[in-house]
Amino acid sequence: MNHGFYLWMSYGATAIAIAIEIATLAAGRARARRLIEEERDLEAQD
Amino acid sequence: MNWFYFSSPSTFYRLAGWLSPWFFALAAILTAVGLYYGFVVAPTDAQQGEVYRVIFIHVPAAWMSMFIYFVMAAYSAASLTFNTRLGAMMARALAPTGALFTFVALWTGAFWGRPTWGTYWAWDARMTSELVLLFLYFGFIALANAFEDPRRGDRAAALLALIGLVNLPIIYFSVHWWNTLHQGSTVKLTGTSMHVAMLTGMLLMAFAFWMYSIGAALTRVRSIILERERRARWARSL
Repeated sequence: MNHGFYLWMSYGATAIAIAIEIATLAAGRARARRLIEEERDLEAQD
Repeated sequence: MNWFYFSSPSTFYRLAGWLSPWFFALAAILTAVGLYYGFVVAPTDAQQGEVYRVIFIHVPAAWMSMFIYFVMAAYSAASLTFNTRLGAMMARALAPTGALFTFVALWTGAFWGRPTWGTYWAWDARMTSELVLLFLYFGFIALANAFEDPRRGDRAAALLALIGLVNLPIIYFSVHWWNTLHQGSTVKLTGTSMHVAMLTGMLLMAFAFWMYSIGAALTRVRSIILERERRARWARSL
């Protein structure tokens, strides 16, 4: 096994970890926007 | 400029929204230049060959794991002392990114250790204390979300963050205090023995991770602010 494997495993895992974090940031944003929408709907019903 | 103006969640929400894309853009540019230095400009290491290039993410990630924890504890201290809502929200926003960089430092360390030390893992003082840091981040996140009332979660997690601060000097000085498998500091305030291109690549990546961390924390804190302030008029009018 050459050193390429260790480099790919290091850089690849880092890239995947950062991609997952960016996806969770987007999901958190979407969730927050949904909660705001629900509050607006509740206000409209009142 | 009145800095207290930005301690209000509604004004900070807008400021964070304006700033975060700039930090992400800066992080992307610095990463591109840092990787160019790391893989093209920096020479092959005489002893380790190509595998030493893990250093361009391992060391910056390890630095960020400790630095983010310190900043998170500082925000926690501010939230406990001054009862500031935004301080607690910033501490919450930093924790997942700190955990990410701690994981990256441990993971890349394992894949650097195997070809150079002959093992992925050893219960060495530096590695073990870094693992404890990862558990502190997990504990902070779990504790912050364990309460129905988020303010109680903020206080409990802030206390844990402050107690966990004791681990930072242990991580940093572990290679001096104990005879460890992990090497000592390569970069010191007094200088370094690294080749200038290697050092440049590593510092560029460290700044890239720093900018990314700020961008990620600002983006996350906006979601936290929106969730907490969703009943406020300003949030509903967005």
